Amino acid sequence: MDKEILISALQATVTEVMGTMAWAEVGFAGQEHSNSLTLNQEVGGLIRLRGESEEGLVGIACNKRIASELVSRIVGLPAEELLPEDLIDGVAELANMICGGMKTKAEMKQLELSPPVAIVGSDYTAEWKTIGGAEVLTFLLEGENFQVHLSL
Amino acid sequence: MKLLSIDDSRTIRRVISGVGAMLGFEVLEAENGMVGLQVLEESSHEVGLILLDWNMPGLNGLEVLKKVKADERFMHIPVMMVTTEGEKDNIIRAIQAGACHYMTKPFSQEEMAGRIMEAIGMGGM
Repeated sequence: MDKEILISALQATVTEVMGTMAWAEVGFAGQEHSNSLTLNQEVGGLIRLRGESEEGLVGIACNKRIASELVSRIVGLPAEELLPEDLIDGVAELANMICGGMKTKAEMKQLELSPPVAIVGSDYTAEWKTIGGAEVLTFLLEGENFQVHLSL
Repeated sequence: MKLLSIDDSRTIRRVISGVGAMLGFEVLEAENGMVGLQVLEESSHEVGLILLDWNMPGLNGLEVLKKVKADERFMHIPVMMVTTEGEKDNIIRAIQAGACHYMTKPFSQEEMAGRIMEAIGMGGM
């Protein structure tokens, strides 16, 4: 898998998912490399991609306010009316749409997506050890960070 | 007429229910393929369209689609796949298995409304 193609597909997908499902404008704010895929914000989502000879992880991370706002817009309910399970499910679905959209745009054939995992909590660190580390793409959404992690 | 949304994501079922309500349809919900088939057992006479996710625990969407199209009680009900699986191969597999429409996530409410109307034969209204 060509990493640059995947990153480009990921950027386009995040913009599309936010704009189409949540009417939210995001701006790309930069990319950095991390030695492992580490989610440690208030909200995280993760999906594994697996094929015969390739595998990877896509994670999302942001604070609870931004996650609630996004899920609220997607389901059409005020953020204060969302139940904890709504937030968990919404974050999982966001991860699913972002990973699935990247896979489609990058034409990554014969790769299966795992069911999405979501984490919501005020103080957690989840780390997946990887061989090549992870690329962390940061997007700005209402002045706050929304991060997408990609590990291959 | 009712719509049946089979999707393990409560979020997507809610979005589809909202679009269905906007169009004046009640939307039945099932959180996986087995529950979806049970709903059909009880309510197939009312269901005019099935909106079916692909990746679900247990029976996946393609397996559910094949079961629906193999059962003479349900085979007349149009099925629209609603999924993140946008590969051409998957679209072809779903169409060959009997799906009438294929919609990839993300989608806007307007797109979903248009596709639902097309799938139930009321497109262009």
